[in-house]
Amino acid sequence: MNRTLFTSLLASTLIVSAPAQDMALSQIFPEDSAWELVVEGYEFTDGLTSDAAGNLYFSDVKGGTAVYRVDLEGKSSEYIPNAPGISGLKWGADGKLYACVSKEQRVVVFDKDKAVTELAKEVRPNDLVVTRDGNLYFTMTPTSEIRRIDPAGKMTVVSSGVVGKPNGISLSRDQGTLAVSDHGGKFVWVFRIEPDGTLAHPGNYMTLVTPAETPEVGKGDGMTTDVHGRYYVTSAEGLQIFDPTGRLCGVLPAPDSKLPIVSCCFAGPGHAWLYVGNGGKIWRRKTTSAGALGFEEPKANEVVPK
Amino acid sequence: MKPYLALACALLFFTPALFAADEDYVPGPEAMVKEGVPRGKISQHQWTSQVFEGTERDYWVYVPAQYDGSKPACVLVCFDGGGFVKEDGSFRAPVVLDNLIHAGDMPVTIGIFVNPGVVPPAKEGQEARKNRSFEYDTLSDQNARFLIEELLPEVGKSYKLSTNPDCRAVCGNSSGGIAAFTVAWERPDAFRKVISHIGSFTNIRGGHVYPALIRKTEPKPLRVFLQEGENDLDNLHGNWPLANREMEAALKFAKYDHQLVMGTGKHSGRHGGAIFPETLRWIWRDWKTLQP
Repeated sequence: MNRTLFTSLLASTLIVSAPAQDMALSQIFPEDSAWELVVEGYEFTDGLTSDAAGNLYFSDVKGGTAVYRVDLEGKSSEYIPNAPGISGLKWGADGKLYACVSKEQRVVVFDKDKAVTELAKEVRPNDLVVTRDGNLYFTMTPTSEIRRIDPAGKMTVVSSGVVGKPNGISLSRDQGTLAVSDHGGKFVWVFRIEPDGTLAHPGNYMTLVTPAETPEVGKGDGMTTDVHGRYYVTSAEGLQIFDPTGRLCGVLPAPDSKLPIVSCCFAGPGHAWLYVGNGGKIWRRKTTSAGALGFEEPKANEVVPK
Repeated sequence: MKPYLALACALLFFTPALFAADEDYVPGPEAMVKEGVPRGKISQHQWTSQVFEGTERDYWVYVPAQYDGSKPACVLVCFDGGGFVKEDGSFRAPVVLDNLIHAGDMPVTIGIFVNPGVVPPAKEGQEARKNRSFEYDTLSDQNARFLIEELLPEVGKSYKLSTNPDCRAVCGNSSGGIAAFTVAWERPDAFRKVISHIGSFTNIRGGHVYPALIRKTEPKPLRVFLQEGENDLDNLHGNWPLANREMEAALKFAKYDHQLVMGTGKHSGRHGGAIFPETLRWIWRDWKTLQP
């Protein structure tokens, strides 16, 4: 064996021999961590998202008329009035709030003065992410599509027919991977985001735990990502958590298991609290982790301290 | 002396022997280059897969000096192949194969040492998507198809590989161990010899069900070697020593040709590496009766 071959052999061995971390639920949730109620009295909370400070924003997709906000002191208020029927919300690096208005079949953006601009119409948007460089990806659940709106405002279909009922959507912390949950199947799919913003190499990377009565349908819904690269996916069986290599860490039943759990995000001080929308209520739970936020500078995953 | 004190003393006395440390497992003389033993050739290659769409990987092909192309060679596929061909690793497979083939303890065998795939990053500074767990821990025929439809035909362009499944072995460590079993379980028409070291027959992606499946599935014509250590993992996915004992019990119940070697090691390749020559002799013990 020549020297070059041996060196490259060593190098390639090094890449695979770095073991994936084992990420038990106990690593994420301290022993005294329990669900605590944040707000109640809504009909169907959805679109949970956080700004840089950790304030929580959400919608009430069925009964609501506004974008709501819960500040760091826990005080809730109406943030953007006259904005009904929203199913997805994300802040962009430009300080604007992007929204899937499923009821009106359009994607819009609210600027700092809360004035609304339409980005796409006659679409069936469900949920969205906005990358640091201003690419917006949204799921079209009924048409099996993922679409992109580029920073210039041009909309294209970037995936069609791969994910049966694309629903939740989240970015890896380095923003090189887009993860999309399937509401009609049992997988969470990942795609590589190409330099030109298109999607490549889909993989059914994560397998959801499914109800015994519908083993092929996990109802994958709203998603989020943490700084360690874990993916959080709401589903029929509760909140499912996967490590960066797609292995299930565990499942948290919904705080109220009689009601659907469809949206989750990290918010609160240090973005260290995990929030879930569970029917008309929002709950939160302290974690030892923190959210990876799309408007932040993309970074490599943090290693979990031993 | 009270009986329990005597017992305690005896335990203390025997403890060092009973609990050999993981580090005490070292490669033996058959993993060392021996004078007068002809050495095979190793070449390194890259593969871009369609079965695992978008993945790239390295693999190494070992061709023994005794292979002359006149007849097909037996096949040994090792997952996480880079670790098996590493010159100072726990396995040093090429040297072990040189020595065993030369001694007549195993047939003329072409080794295919293949790494798991990665989807490389599209931009600098981004991380590759590691496909190892998906490929190795998933219970499906996808990894078998990767070997049968892609990798073996590619290697087969240069060398005559046996198509007799009894002449084809598949081997791996940890998730690579369950992957080796899955390949043969899914495709006994293509692979019938399995070597698993510290195999992850645990619930990483559902692999803990194998003992139950083995018991209630018509037995398949496989020969299965398992190595495991008392101090192996106990984590969110399962308990490795218990899982391997469950596998052993199920294989015994269903009357498989099998063996479990239980040591005292941890989740490493050290024990499997130390006994690798003996393992290969066991798996190929009747090779002279086979028609490659």
